[in-house]
Amino acid sequence: MIGPRRGARTLPLDGARGRQASVECSREADVFEAVAFGRWPEHCADLVAHVSTCAMCADLVIVSRALQDDRESLCREAQLPAAGMVWWRATIRARADAARTATQPISVLQGIAGACIVGGAAGLATVAWQSIHWVDRLGDLAVRLASRRADIASASAFAAGHGLPILLAIAAGLVLAPLALYITLADD
Amino acid sequence: MRDVTLSELERLGTDASDSEDTFQMDEDAFRLFYERTARPVWAYLSRMSGDPRLADDLLQEAYYRFLRANAAHESDAHRRNYLFRIATNLVRDLRRRPRVDEVRLANGGEATDHADPQSADVANGAIRRVDLARSMARLKPRERDLLWLAYAQGSSHKEIAGTLGLKTASIKLLLFRARRRLAGLLREGGR
Repeated sequence: MIGPRRGARTLPLDGARGRQASVECSREADVFEAVAFGRWPEHCADLVAHVSTCAMCADLVIVSRALQDDRESLCREAQLPAAGMVWWRATIRARADAARTATQPISVLQGIAGACIVGGAAGLATVAWQSIHWVDRLGDLAVRLASRRADIASASAFAAGHGLPILLAIAAGLVLAPLALYITLADD
Repeated sequence: MRDVTLSELERLGTDASDSEDTFQMDEDAFRLFYERTARPVWAYLSRMSGDPRLADDLLQEAYYRFLRANAAHESDAHRRNYLFRIATNLVRDLRRRPRVDEVRLANGGEATDHADPQSADVANGAIRRVDLARSMARLKPRERDLLWLAYAQGSSHKEIAGTLGLKTASIKLLLFRARRRLAGLLREGGR
């Protein structure tokens, strides 16, 4: 309940000229209570007499009666949804908000993955484009190799003599390297 | 960002019954709180926004924000004041939009919609409410908030200060000025 304290209260309105105007009547609380509890004006003759001489309390009566009548009418007219309906809607909305918040990082990751795929595809396209030029260069290489056929023949004879051990060494490396890597990581 | 689909919403709806962990307040406590506060809050929203239909939406939003805040309150009065603060902020957000509220307030036509023309009392009451609506429309938004909370809602200066984000010491003077202005407008008949 609004309750101005007893005793006169003044606040400066015009400091330069030192004038003060009262902003509070000591009987405001009584007047407001009488209006708020429906005692006004029948059951408070002394207050009625006071209000007829106090401009501040007269304002208070006009304003508080108007606002309280309005509030009562509005409260009467209000066609409110049931509490259960308000609760249910709030619950659904809260869960939808929570779901939206939870899926946000997934959406971000999906975006990053999409960007990576596009970037990778662009890289592959670039490599493919460059490999077309490599085909031309391979043609040049074949021409050069044909001119040095004798050197290649001697190297091929050496490979035919020692080819099997070299191939076995490469195969063993290909098998054992991943196995060693697996064992190392499995121990960790 | 991915939108939540309808099927997901339906699933959420079926899960709503076991949603005690969604909010700090349980459903029974909410029902009690709602029954006590919904009408005054709706009246406040209706008068401050000037549109009863808008007040319906704002009411739902106010309770949603209240529940989502999951704030601990030391008393029922504190809880109610917190709800009014949310309602005040909603109306403030609304005021930042185009000036629909001013037009609605100036019309003040809702009062006559519900009036029974057969009854002189009802008609007089409707006229007074139209006068009040017009007069309130001529006040500053903060003056409307102050006057309603003080004289319709019966809030203390401290509660008003908390709700409106003002200093308690300044409430007295602000209320005095707003009251004097509204009383003057009402004496003129809201014109």
